[in-house]
Amino acid sequence: MPDIATLLQVLLIVVKVGVVTMILFGLPLPLTWLERKVAGHIQVRLGPWRVGPHGLLQPFADMIKLLFKEDIVPYKADKLLFNLAPLITMVPAFAVFVAIPFGDSVMIPFINKEVTLYISDMNVGILYILAISGLGVYGLILGGWASNSKYALLGGLRSSAQMISYEVAMTFAAVGVVMMTNSLSLVEMVKAQSGSFLSWNIFYLPVGPVWFVIFLIAGLAEINRIPFDLTEDEGTLAAGFHTEYSGMKFAFFMLAEYVAMVTISILAVVMFFGGWNAPLEVPVPIPPIFWLVAKAAAFIYFFMWIRFTLPRYRYDQLMTIGWKILIPVALVNLLVTGFMRI
Amino acid sequence: MSRKGFDLFDLIKKVLFTDFVKGLTVTLGYNISKSITMRYPDEEKWIPYRRFRGLHTLNRDENGRELCVACELCSKACPTGCITVIPEENDSGRGIADRVAKVWTVNLVRCLFCGYCEDACPTRALRLGREYELACADYSCTLMSRDQLLVPQPVPESIPGGYVVKSKLERTPQGIKVTVDLSKFKKRSI
Amino acid sequence: MEQIFFYIFAVIAVVTAIAVVSVRNPVHSALYLIVCFLQVAAIFILLRSPFLAAVQVFIYVGAVMVLFLFAVMVLDVGKESFSEHMHSQAIPAVITVAGLLAVAVWLISTGSLTAPLGPYTEEALSKNTEVIGKALYTQYIFPFEVVSLLLLIALIGAVVLVLKDKGRGAGRRP
Repeated sequence: MPDIATLLQVLLIVVKVGVVTMILFGLPLPLTWLERKVAGHIQVRLGPWRVGPHGLLQPFADMIKLLFKEDIVPYKADKLLFNLAPLITMVPAFAVFVAIPFGDSVMIPFINKEVTLYISDMNVGILYILAISGLGVYGLILGGWASNSKYALLGGLRSSAQMISYEVAMTFAAVGVVMMTNSLSLVEMVKAQSGSFLSWNIFYLPVGPVWFVIFLIAGLAEINRIPFDLTEDEGTLAAGFHTEYSGMKFAFFMLAEYVAMVTISILAVVMFFGGWNAPLEVPVPIPPIFWLVAKAAAFIYFFMWIRFTLPRYRYDQLMTIGWKILIPVALVNLLVTGFMRI
Repeated sequence: MSRKGFDLFDLIKKVLFTDFVKGLTVTLGYNISKSITMRYPDEEKWIPYRRFRGLHTLNRDENGRELCVACELCSKACPTGCITVIPEENDSGRGIADRVAKVWTVNLVRCLFCGYCEDACPTRALRLGREYELACADYSCTLMSRDQLLVPQPVPESIPGGYVVKSKLERTPQGIKVTVDLSKFKKRSI
Repeated sequence: MEQIFFYIFAVIAVVTAIAVVSVRNPVHSALYLIVCFLQVAAIFILLRSPFLAAVQVFIYVGAVMVLFLFAVMVLDVGKESFSEHMHSQAIPAVITVAGLLAVAVWLISTGSLTAPLGPYTEEALSKNTEVIGKALYTQYIFPFEVVSLLLLIALIGAVVLVLKDKGRGAGRRP
């Protein structure tokens, strides 16, 4: 029989997982609103306006619509996989957050107990994140295949090829960061970057910025956002792999997409921008988690900004960028980083 | 970039993502600039110029007599045949002549607002006004009769138009209505 | 506690492995193979090897299986051809598998299928990644290099095959 302390620890982990999951489930609501607002203002429009003040209640209206929409399963679709695919996409997107650190430990004021702001500090953290986030592609492929639709199948095939190509570059970027910080654990990574902003990995000249650019481009491709959203290219593929999905299943895909965007933003912050470390010494006590959230929010805005700035790449251009530019640059950069670390 | 020559400047530009940054600055400029969306009908409404061809209006002269003499020229000129005019003899001083329209209806579903009827009218009784909120949920508003068209339109002829005024959307049990405040106006933001 | 988890993972792994070869639809069988690999990764975690588990998920589940699925979808392996393959081979296959199973059970029960434990304590294994890295680059450097050479040969071979095809196609063009 396990003792009380172990039980408490398990309970703490369960509570943490619950909190993170709840936040992640709620996060797409403001993010869809923000994305449409950014889209509107970049295109000199207003964006959502009519539901609530400044259209703030628009996501809730959308959610209600999606909940009550008819759930259509196409004729001759593979029912099992068709229903399973949204879950296969969503679960890895959430599971990644097990290893993501939001901050160091904090004291809970009433029970006087120290609580770490991460669910698990595994010593293979970055590897775990890359591995698990790579699983999300199965939902895309299987969903595309199971839909019994040409568009969806092509979208699924494209996404699989894209994921394989860019996972290589992304892993190289992660390897670079591992070499710069001497650890696979994300918590150690952040701790290695403590101090002023000059000790952040992005300022590890000359290789830091190059790794960051490689990571950002590969990350954009991994989360299927413009300019690399070939898998749901509405110009040629209707909606890509989720053409046949409606209602809640479609919402799950969207949810996974937004969570993946948050993951990449936080990962970029943790790997290159010092995580929860303040950029400069500030006299006022600001909780470290504020810095993480602020930096991640900046990245999320940046992704949206890019989305409404750049056109979509052609498929062959996508492959050229991945294999002929990013990977050779990453290899050279790996060599340089290796020499610098000797 | 030329094929044979190696352009160092071009390479530097590519490495530093200058074009990308240029594009981002342009979109950022738009992002923080003011939106040009007109908040119709909640806050603003566009008042068209006089040349605008909206809902038909039948005019009266300064003594309040109908200018329409039921000559049926508008009906003849209409390319879609959407105007019906039935004349009648009436010397009670309702119109400027003895001949007045007993029925004058326009079918707004067929009308294409070309303005030929306006040109054909010998007495300037018929004009295409500036009313453009013609939508309705049933067929009741598609057939506009003489009585409805004789009522002066909310935007009087004296206003030159071509600007945005304050407006408000009113919801009543009879339907929705946009009320405008013509006293204050501003230019359209483009 | 750990035993319970081990049995859960092991049973799922075996069941899905059987499903891989028994289901008709190649895409379903790929999906079962993914589940099987994930169970193996979980067992690696139970064996205090998080690095191996992550690599298992990363390489096998994340990359190799995506390629499998890709190939299955592009080739469009029909259900009919799959079932035909199974017909004549079913009985010999079952006999062979049963024989192998008997041998394995016998070896395990007599205790002759064991490996010596490494010199690593629990603390050393918490730095699992470094232990594996050091072992790979010192003790096992030769096999490691041979494997990487093999992979390089495969890579170059693939490129050469594609290039040859392209050249021939260009020559035939009128």
